[in-house]
Amino acid sequence: MSIVDAIRADAAGLLQTGRAKLVLGYRSRRGQRVPILLTDAAGADQLVYDAECRQNLAAYLRKPEVRQHFPVGVVAAPPVMRSLVMLSAESQIAADAVTVLAVSENEYHGALDLAATVQLLREKYANLAPNEELLRKVREVAAMSEEERAAFWTEQFSKCTRCYACRAACPGCYCQWCVAKRNVPQWISTADLAHGTFAWNITRAFHHAGRCTLCGACEAACPQGLPLMLLNACVAECVEKEFGHKTGYDLAEKPLIGSWRPDDDDGFVR
Amino acid sequence: MKLLRADRLADLAAALAAQGYRVIAPIRQGRIVRLAEWRPGAAIETSGISANSVKDFLFPRSEIIDRYSLNGGDFVQQEVSPEAIKTVVLAVRPCDAESVSVLDTVFNWDSNDVFYNARREACTVVSLACVRADEHCFCTSVGGSPESAEGADAVLRVAGGGDKFIFEPLTPKGHALAEAAGGVLAEGVAAADPVAEIPRRFDVKTVTEWLNKNFDSPLWQEFAAACLGCGACAYACPSCHCFDMQDESTRKESVRYRNWDTCGLALFTLHTSGHNPRSTQTARWRQRVMHKLSYIPQRFNLTACMGCGRCSRLCPNGLGISETCEKIAQLCKANHEGRAR
Amino acid sequence: MNIYRPAAMRLLDAREEAPDVRTFRLEFLDGAARSEFFSRYRVGQFGLYGVPGAGESTFCVASPPTRQEYIECTFRKNGRVTQALQDREVGQMITFRGPYGNCFPMDSWRGKNILFVAGGIALPPVRSVIWNVLDRRSEFGGVTIVYGARTVADLVYKHELEQWAARPDVDLVLTVDPGGETPEWKGQVAFVPNLLKALPAATNSVAVVCGPPIMIKLSLPALRGLGFSTADIYTTLENRMKCGVGKCGRCNVGPMYVCKDGPVFTAEQLETLPQGDL
Repeated sequence: MSIVDAIRADAAGLLQTGRAKLVLGYRSRRGQRVPILLTDAAGADQLVYDAECRQNLAAYLRKPEVRQHFPVGVVAAPPVMRSLVMLSAESQIAADAVTVLAVSENEYHGALDLAATVQLLREKYANLAPNEELLRKVREVAAMSEEERAAFWTEQFSKCTRCYACRAACPGCYCQWCVAKRNVPQWISTADLAHGTFAWNITRAFHHAGRCTLCGACEAACPQGLPLMLLNACVAECVEKEFGHKTGYDLAEKPLIGSWRPDDDDGFVR
Repeated sequence: MKLLRADRLADLAAALAAQGYRVIAPIRQGRIVRLAEWRPGAAIETSGISANSVKDFLFPRSEIIDRYSLNGGDFVQQEVSPEAIKTVVLAVRPCDAESVSVLDTVFNWDSNDVFYNARREACTVVSLACVRADEHCFCTSVGGSPESAEGADAVLRVAGGGDKFIFEPLTPKGHALAEAAGGVLAEGVAAADPVAEIPRRFDVKTVTEWLNKNFDSPLWQEFAAACLGCGACAYACPSCHCFDMQDESTRKESVRYRNWDTCGLALFTLHTSGHNPRSTQTARWRQRVMHKLSYIPQRFNLTACMGCGRCSRLCPNGLGISETCEKIAQLCKANHEGRAR
Repeated sequence: MNIYRPAAMRLLDAREEAPDVRTFRLEFLDGAARSEFFSRYRVGQFGLYGVPGAGESTFCVASPPTRQEYIECTFRKNGRVTQALQDREVGQMITFRGPYGNCFPMDSWRGKNILFVAGGIALPPVRSVIWNVLDRRSEFGGVTIVYGARTVADLVYKHELEQWAARPDVDLVLTVDPGGETPEWKGQVAFVPNLLKALPAATNSVAVVCGPPIMIKLSLPALRGLGFSTADIYTTLENRMKCGVGKCGRCNVGPMYVCKDGPVFTAEQLETLPQGDL
């Protein structure tokens, strides 16, 4: 059975048995891969899966219209699987709210609960590295001086229109009152100037330190072609080096930037 | 008839720049083609459609509309002049040129917005008829066409199988541009290449009639299901014009920005009391479609959608104005056929 | 002319009405701006009041056009702009843009009885009409005011309520919600819509209603029951606004812009608007 056929069969099965009341997957539309929210098993034959499927469907789990249909099924590649684990670890979803239709480019692993998904991730997908090209660019940026790097990122962010497509696409961006929305005080300028676009993009990247699974949904969503994966990969590289932390492999994990250990380095306190 | 060799488009840009125009053209920037300021050496891409629209140069993402110097509880108003750089927007799609009439109406219908008008007066629009379209284009469904001249000061038409353009000035600004171009435009005769065939995807009158009567339809939930509430569609859209006003200050001075805003975000209609008249994404998606295809037509007798397809192309989640309209049209057709039987 | 540029105002007086609710009395610093405003101002219109650096907020003009030495607004401190406004001291400056929107068609009410119904912080827009009517008292028939708030402390314009109560040509009914009364309270203890039901049947009358959504929702059927037609019931809508001049799109409801086609609407007009967007 092909991967796609297996996904279709399992999705239909989940809906028919009531093990899921809604399945989040992908369909084809005008040559693109876009999300589909299925509530009827008969629609499962619209499901597709291939490397062009870039949206992180875990982002839909913050939507009230989806939550009212819990438990749900989610077609998930390893980065998306990790996002689902992260959401459960951060108490955004109950561990039993989701059945994962676990897939990768080459293999379909079946309909798994979150515990089995963690097992799968540890066994088969423990060392997901971003691609070589991205790593090369990360090193290029790291080699820049502070001034060069500031100028580089300012230039990249100058094309940002503050549409927040990156935020909408990201499962980690579930805050009801995003810091960009707050106006008492106005933490982040809403104007199309360097101080606003820089603050927005850097703040978002930092809020995902240790939580970003490098799924690429944000960059795929950005209508202006901002190199968001490069930004996230730079942060991820730093996180790995300083803390050795990777999210999404432990349902009981504590968020990196929301917790501390007694032996954390506090040498920066002077 | 004025002709331009297709490989001399950059020379046209250079000639216009030399005459004091800021030249905006579709320029490739990485994986995106964007309408941006042309500089020598930049390749102008005439196939495809830019990610952004002419609106960026008439109604920018942010601009300052007021300024104050502050002194404790007192202030003094400062000068604010609308910015009006002599600009030519070169080789834009006809759908973009058409969108200018929607912006003209919104910014002038009851009172005149000096900021928009200053840029508008300083801007010459040169459109390029489309010999190709993609699966997202739907201008013919909303009353447009791949060779429409509406809103353009001059039009370019592909000729000779693509090795030249016919340049046709239409307005005084267009003629002034032709003069500024000088010898880059040669006299000659050519026949325009056939334009793209763009079959109609839906009948906009049928759709508008359905919209006028179906605010409460449960179908809106289905139409909006995949929407995650960002501004990608509205900001790329050539005719979306909603904006926000935001102040920023130091102790000594303050500015008031006028920034793009979108009904797609929850914050747009949120009252300080916490009440939000459009509290679901379904209500917000419905507003976007209604505003463009029902409310603005009712009020101004204009369709506020050009069929450029940017919303469909850029939406990460498969939404778009045409998607919703096609579903409505199919529904109307099915109902009609059902009743006819 | 920059349509977004406000006039500069001086704060003449700031009166505490209720917890966090203040009435500002303002004068135009520029005589030409003052003349221009009063040449156009009709009761029911609103303005955008602001502090440079914080932004602007929309409130009705709470004083009537019959009083031209000042304008007034009454508002609750709720967010960034209202906080900045209430941080202003008497003698300091704020900005004002207006008058915007449509007005109550007072001339068409000549000779009619007028019933005013208001709840809580929504009395200000009604108060401007009340004073406008009282300043032109002989033109109108009976004047009845029903005003209620959650608690005694929440009643605004307490000093003016006394003035209205003392007038023989005004029928004033004051109420607080059950549980909102104090031992000294002499007025009614009931929800406003319930009090309406006890009023006499309406003939040759119009009603002006303003209050929180729930109060309006329950008052409308009560008024219908008294014999008011929906064309004779007037209300003023609130919506989040920014430009005030029908361009920014924020207050768009159906084909209307609340800032241009409103904020005054009849109940009949309201029925034509998409209810889910109100």
